[in-house]
Amino acid sequence: MAMQLGGSDEFNSEINVTPMVDVMLVLLIIFMIVTPLLQQGVSVNLPREMISPDEDADIAKDTSVIVAIPDNNNFYIGKEQYPLDALGDVIKRRMEGKTPDKRIVYIKSGVDVDYGRVVSAIETIRKQDIDKIGLVADRKKGVAAPKQ
Amino acid sequence: MGMSTGSGGATPNINVTPLIDVLLVLLIIFMCITPLKPSRFEAKVPAEPKDQQDVQVKPNPLTLVVAINKETKGITLNNENFGDVSDTEKLNNKLSEIFRERENNGVFREGTNEVEKTIFIKSPKSVRYGDVVRVIDAAKSAGASPIGLQIDDLTD
Repeated sequence: MAMQLGGSDEFNSEINVTPMVDVMLVLLIIFMIVTPLLQQGVSVNLPREMISPDEDADIAKDTSVIVAIPDNNNFYIGKEQYPLDALGDVIKRRMEGKTPDKRIVYIKSGVDVDYGRVVSAIETIRKQDIDKIGLVADRKKGVAAPKQ
Repeated sequence: MGMSTGSGGATPNINVTPLIDVLLVLLIIFMCITPLKPSRFEAKVPAEPKDQQDVQVKPNPLTLVVAINKETKGITLNNENFGDVSDTEKLNNKLSEIFRERENNGVFREGTNEVEKTIFIKSPKSVRYGDVVRVIDAAKSAGASPIGLQIDDLTD
């Protein structure tokens, strides 16, 4: 009786979870490393919970031009900070050779930034003959994609 | 002897279930965060004004201008009040109504067969960007397209 309880019966009913835990840990570590790498540029407090912005995979592409305005005093393209009057040249250089339908500059601005700062960035952008602006915003989860 | 082997076999087992629970939850959290697809509002800006001062522009009676008031945070559509930036539903309803009406009556943009749904957003420079985007969101979800941002002659 005592042998039966402590013996083979008890061992049979246990699953060996060690390999599973190993795999989990590895996956976890991979995700932890990849997540910060995926984020390009500076972090900005984007407008959230918007109902109707269109998804645009181009935003994540390396070739697209994104002007980030995290606060009232700074303008970033990628991770580099630029003064307002230097923005135009950088945008012009990065826009070279793009087809007219790809001539769009994305603006990632924080919600607490004055609209005037955003306008001054747009003013610089349109001097480069660009009339399309993409205002990046986070879409509310669970809302169906609006039709184009 | 039989008893001692039994208890000796059971003791080195660590209860890993909570560990796995925590790991799974962390894993799910990271997997959810990663594939957030970026999205944006497309806005048009007018080309830079040229030095021709005397161009006579015929005002378009179909133009819809949404303006934001700096002090009251109120929203006006062609100078009529429609709620404020914290409650954009009124504006959304009104715009949807206007667009539906235009669709039924066949009001087209000049020279095309698309229904005129152009909207201009005008806001003073000191308004929070977040508030402006809320208004754009309301206009966009009502079906407005294209959305134009007024850049010149904005007040502080």
